[in-house]
Amino acid sequence: MSAESSLSRRHFLRLSIIAGGGLLVACGGSSSKPSNNLSPSEPEDNGPIVEQQFGDFLKIGSDNSLTVFVGATEIGQGILTGIAMAVAEELDADWSKVKAVHSPVAIEFNNPYFGSAMQSTVASASMRGYYKPQRQIGARIRQLMINTAAARWQVDAARLQTEAGYVIDPVTNRSISYGELSADAQESDIPATAELKSPEQYKIIGTSQQRLDAASKVDGSLIYGIDVDIPDMLTAVIARPPRFSGQPLIVDSNAALAVPGVLEVHQLAIGVAVVAEDFWSAEKGRKALEVTWNELLASRTDSELQRSQYELQLNLPGVPIRVDGAVVPAQLLAAETVQADYYFPFQAHAAMEPLNVVIDYDGSRAEIWTGTQSPTLDKLFASLILGLPPTQINFHIMPCGGGFGRRGNWLGDFVRDACQVAAAVRKPVKVMWSREDDMKGGFYRPAAAVRMSASLNTQGEISAWTHRSVTQDMTAFLYGEKLFDEVVELNGGTLPALDKVTDFDSNFVYDVSNVLMDFHLVANLQMPALWMRSVNKYTDIFAQETFLDVIASRSGEDPYQFRRNRLSEAPRHLAVLNAAATAANWGQARSGATMGIALMGHWNSFIAQVVEMSISADKEITIHKITSAIDCGTAVNPDLVIAQVESAIVFALSSIFYGEITLDDGVVQQSNYDDYRVLRMFESPEMETILINSTEDPGGVGEIGVPCVGPALANAIYAATGATIRELPLRNLGYSMAEQHPEAGGQS
Amino acid sequence: MYTLQVNGISHTVDVPGDKPLLWVLRENLKLTGSKYGCGQALCGACTVHLDGHPVRACVTPISAVGEQAVRTIEDIAYDAVGAKVQETWQNLNVPQCGYCQSGQIMAATALLTDNPTPTDRDIDEAMSGNICRCGTYPRIRRAIHKLANGGV
Ligand code: FES
Ligand code: FES
Repeated sequence: MSAESSLSRRHFLRLSIIAGGGLLVACGGSSSKPSNNLSPSEPEDNGPIVEQQFGDFLKIGSDNSLTVFVGATEIGQGILTGIAMAVAEELDADWSKVKAVHSPVAIEFNNPYFGSAMQSTVASASMRGYYKPQRQIGARIRQLMINTAAARWQVDAARLQTEAGYVIDPVTNRSISYGELSADAQESDIPATAELKSPEQYKIIGTSQQRLDAASKVDGSLIYGIDVDIPDMLTAVIARPPRFSGQPLIVDSNAALAVPGVLEVHQLAIGVAVVAEDFWSAEKGRKALEVTWNELLASRTDSELQRSQYELQLNLPGVPIRVDGAVVPAQLLAAETVQADYYFPFQAHAAMEPLNVVIDYDGSRAEIWTGTQSPTLDKLFASLILGLPPTQINFHIMPCGGGFGRRGNWLGDFVRDACQVAAAVRKPVKVMWSREDDMKGGFYRPAAAVRMSASLNTQGEISAWTHRSVTQDMTAFLYGEKLFDEVVELNGGTLPALDKVTDFDSNFVYDVSNVLMDFHLVANLQMPALWMRSVNKYTDIFAQETFLDVIASRSGEDPYQFRRNRLSEAPRHLAVLNAAATAANWGQARSGATMGIALMGHWNSFIAQVVEMSISADKEITIHKITSAIDCGTAVNPDLVIAQVESAIVFALSSIFYGEITLDDGVVQQSNYDDYRVLRMFESPEMETILINSTEDPGGVGEIGVPCVGPALANAIYAATGATIRELPLRNLGYSMAEQHPEAGGQS
Repeated sequence: MYTLQVNGISHTVDVPGDKPLLWVLRENLKLTGSKYGCGQALCGACTVHLDGHPVRACVTPISAVGEQAVRTIEDIAYDAVGAKVQETWQNLNVPQCGYCQSGQIMAATALLTDNPTPTDRDIDEAMSGNICRCGTYPRIRRAIHKLANGGV
């Protein structure tokens, strides 16, 4: 927040930014006492609560409440709670009185991780980007409160202390709440800097806290984007072409308009919008619609054809993204080179809340509500499509019913579609995606082919390691879109070189001197692909970690020891590996069971996972336990870190057993949760997660639990049966999941 | 015109008979706690109680509701079991995105009302119709066991 420290006091002294400003007044409430017995002075009982805003990021109420504005999007990962904890820690706020809300879409809230260019909740980057600057905000406001109290009491600020929302003078035993100080504090400058706490001083960071949104997520009161209801709002659904990039040619809307409740039909570039009084009528109207599609330019992507193309491409060198030593001479000198090819299909994110956008657009201004991980770019796309300056768009980031990357589309597809509808309708409208629309709507995890090779010298040691992938790349896709250039330029930026924004390295850390990793980053403008939770690590770590077990078995080495002996440069990897193996009782699987292990580090975090499972003669798998050890640096809210690992395991198992979108001559074959299976309760295994404490800066935790589950399971299958698994999902290979019936139902 | 009893209150709505209860609740009665996830009885996000039994509101036409008492997540705090389920859900940090949790809580409340000490197999049977894409299953299971041990 270096830019902010130069801002004048005027910028900080605003009362409430809620809807156009003005004093925010709520009713009732009295201040609570701090935990010490210093007899605080009480504000008047039952007076109105006045909230004072300090800077862009927080408000303090006269009832000593703290409201934190968070620039990242809550998609279930708990970021509202986590950022609020970081602010409250340095502010020494009363945690029981803290609230967190989504910020407006504005540059002040851009994530420093992305060069402060945008708000984008992807790449496990929220805590990594906001942690330090938000703590700094908290610390500065704390100092402001101290200064204000010192002035009031006419004492030296240096002797004052803070605790749970109070400034305390230990000499006189006086104390006063931040809430009581907040009006006076508006008269002073916010200190430009303040000292941050050292980790041993933390009282909130590092403690397991209940999510701030827990209550509203158990009583149905939380308003997601899909729940937004504004006066005179209509509901629209879009009939889309059967193949991507198709367009409506001839539209017969008579039958649709005859459906009671259907009001308008609009032919758009992307499809045909049916606008109705409610969702049910819109759906019925869409079914009655007759559309002839122009498919001259439509996508004819075919899953099987694409697979054979990718597998051919594996024979050609790609763009090198990691070159250690000299692979080719090592290969020539090798006693033996072993190779394996892998293939992974497209997958849908299938978040529980289907995509939706509410827009109120009248031609001169717009208000938009949507659950999005990419609000800055969404808003810019909206301004281009609606022909409005961004200042005329009030954009509300809504809590998301899941995201997993689908709501983080830097191409803004769903907001763009909705803006096209709104531009035609010019009345308040909710544009809804049915589950089928969402499933067939593209922007999938891209399919990938991977080739691994290891060269072994005469001592049997790995002398060269290669890793080649062919996959569609979100960034390559972005570079094919002219509109994206315009948007980035409009935002005052320039498009960085492609290799600067890709993040494909699997962080292979084992002791091998000669390593070559190269990629074919396919740009296929007709086949919309996107990132999905853990991005390419899902496929590349699967290949890397299963191939490693094959190499280990050639020399008869234990997979855990094999890894352990080759991590001389990777202490944090080694620590999680040891911790997971110990917690899982590695080597002591229950009778009839085997174990598999996998390891990775990325997003500034590290994880090792052990799967213990049994497999029947007809390939039915019972997972007895999945043990994870994670080092994410400072775990801001340990219970939510563990929750993210549990979540990632379930997410991964869905992908591993079932995750597959297939295209037949351009047409997506799946439509709902019946033909696109995700894990259900009876398939959810027992889990134990070990958190390795550290005072390093926080790493990302939303994705790191995903990639190792697949290879750990495949390695356990390999140990049990000798079968090497070179493609997913497992269902296609005849494997199935038994009922898991854990005894304990997770860790307690 | 259909008259229905929702959370103890009588409502009359003018909608076609095939409009699913879910959309009547969400759009006509503005009770948005029940969620749309699939529209095909595949995910359980829309689970409500009809005379105490969990049903998928997305495939229940309004014409089929009749006199049955509809109970939704907005009212379940007034049920002794429901209130404890909600409290335990919060204490164990069960919800992540939270979108499926209305349905999960309605299903769990019905299970625990019917069977206060469910086994893992009972939990599997009662809860496997409710998808949680955030993967909160381990905590849902733990919460139900905890409620069973606490003697709901
Ligand atoms: S929305 Fe009713 S079961 Fe999915
Ligand atoms: S908590 Fe997100 S789908 Fe269940």
